[in-house]
Amino acid sequence: MRTALTWLLGVWLAGVIVAGLLWAPAAAGFQGDSFRIVFFHVPQAWVAVLAFCVNLVASIRYLRTRSALDDSRAGAAARLGLLFALLATITGSIFAKLEWGMFWNWDPRETSILVLLLVYAAYFALRQAVADEERRASLAAAYAVFAFVTMPFLVFVVPRVYASLHPDLVEAAEGVVRFRMDPRLRLVLLASLAGFTGLFVWLYSLEVRLARVLAARRREES
Amino acid sequence: MRFEGVVKRFGRQKVLAGVSGELRPGRVLVVAGPNGAGKSTLLCILAGLLRPSAGDVRYLKGDEVLPREAWYPLLGVAAPDMALYEELSALENLRLFARLRCCHEGDEPLGAALEEVGLAATHHHKLVGTFSSGMRQRAKLAQAVLHRPAVLLLDEPSANLDEDGHRRVGTLLERLKPATAIAVATNDPREMAWGDEKIELAG
Amino acid sequence: MKRSSLLAESLAILWKELASELRRRVALSAIGLFAVTTLVAVAYQIGPYGLAEQDRPFLLSALLWIILFFSSMAGLARVFVKEEDSHTAPTLRLAARPHAVLLGKLAFNFLLLLALQVIVVPLYCGVMGLAVASASGLALVMLAGGAALAITATFVAALIARASGSNALFPILALPLLLPLLVAAIAGTRAAVGSPGLAAVLPALRAISSLGGVTMVTALLLFPAVWRD
Repeated sequence: MRTALTWLLGVWLAGVIVAGLLWAPAAAGFQGDSFRIVFFHVPQAWVAVLAFCVNLVASIRYLRTRSALDDSRAGAAARLGLLFALLATITGSIFAKLEWGMFWNWDPRETSILVLLLVYAAYFALRQAVADEERRASLAAAYAVFAFVTMPFLVFVVPRVYASLHPDLVEAAEGVVRFRMDPRLRLVLLASLAGFTGLFVWLYSLEVRLARVLAARRREES
Repeated sequence: MRFEGVVKRFGRQKVLAGVSGELRPGRVLVVAGPNGAGKSTLLCILAGLLRPSAGDVRYLKGDEVLPREAWYPLLGVAAPDMALYEELSALENLRLFARLRCCHEGDEPLGAALEEVGLAATHHHKLVGTFSSGMRQRAKLAQAVLHRPAVLLLDEPSANLDEDGHRRVGTLLERLKPATAIAVATNDPREMAWGDEKIELAG
Repeated sequence: MKRSSLLAESLAILWKELASELRRRVALSAIGLFAVTTLVAVAYQIGPYGLAEQDRPFLLSALLWIILFFSSMAGLARVFVKEEDSHTAPTLRLAARPHAVLLGKLAFNFLLLLALQVIVVPLYCGVMGLAVASASGLALVMLAGGAALAITATFVAALIARASGSNALFPILALPLLLPLLVAAIAGTRAAVGSPGLAAVLPALRAISSLGGVTMVTALLLFPAVWRD
């Protein structure tokens, strides 16, 4: 059952890649084929945020139950979140360079994904610094929850404060989302979102299963 | 206070392998063993400063099991890796801890506590940072017993103390014993003589 | 045996921090020297004439908060790191309620930051030739921003003290959490510099106070787990 689903996921993603690069038309109003990168950029950003939420839930559960499994879950989610946040930042800046001529614009959305990346990096720096396993898990969980609480301010509140200073940038960012999408584009984008979510779920379950096996082996040894 | 099957692992290393025992007012429990046997670790776990990797520590008031938060006001602890504030005087330290724990009702009880452990009044206002190791140990002991704790945990109480200091600790324990559950972790045979019960930890 | 109130315990800890600091003045020197050195470096390069006129309000507001942020990184961790280093942390852990520890140390860090602001902000405005339209607006932004900064910084300090206690980790962990606050504070400062009266700083003040409120509650909820392990 699991192998069948994994194969299906592989085929799905391959289909999305082909569709994104060949089948979907070039989007109107954008430089040539540059829009195609959005098929990958948006899902990556979405998965980075999803991973953050999974990490939050696992961290809160850890603080309640102190079970090592919840800590493995939090760590797995964070690792994947870091990877996808990095990918999203890179693809995002490539798109920005093609569209607006600059690699970085400091608009709220770009800044949010960058801050998310910094939070993940800090999370792992913290984990590295603690030797004792139980303490590492509690401290990392506390940091993750605290970070989660400050994120909405960056995404929602700050742009409003910022807008009074740089209105043109805010409009440009919102423009990306609001333009009219050709139905084929929308279809590929949604399919890509589903595919990437599936990718995340698969990688996450692999990591958690691995962590469980390692923990069981360690318990047997001692 | 009861503890059962306490295990503590640091990474791959198992420091405590299933220790059990009981503390009751009126009795002194001695925890003995060579260096590295885990005496200090056990005391930290009993004090609620460390979580055991496995096993159970229970504080009982009559039949009621107390949650961890409720342990701390009942505890008095003196251990080698616990210090007082060096930038404050002995009296200021005690005043701070009295204020934190329950109540600061003037300096006389604080002064009396310091004198009981052998710190003369001339030293009360000096900064703990200027104290010798013996004087620091005495101040630590005063801090541990100041609030009349129900449970007293002492890790090598007469370390750094001279004959007079050692005698004072013995007298202090005798005075407190009827109302206090006491545990002493030690290598010293003279301290072991204070105990009514003993637990041996293998190295 | 009766227990002290939370307020009494917090005040006792605040008093202890103040007494320690006044006797040795380590944190104050670290923060103060850092701020003044950075200020001199910046002023030397930029000074009253080094920037285009229309850019000045925004850039100078940003620079001011950068100086405040890095100065805090130089000294606000000390409240927790020193406890672990001098082995007084277990003694405190046994004696005081976790919330009292957080509140007392937070109050101390806030006072430290206020002292820093009182010295640095007028100095900065003088040296950089920055004319502030609304002094009361600026004062409010500094007060609220300082409080919110103190809350996050104190919480992160508690985390790193229980980690390796390395001060290098402090800015790494604190910066991502403080970015929203810094942006709002810079915007508020810019508003205070540009417009007289309080109306202009209100949006920023609202953002800062809600951020401060949320982080305060979260810190109170999480701190016992961090402190007591």
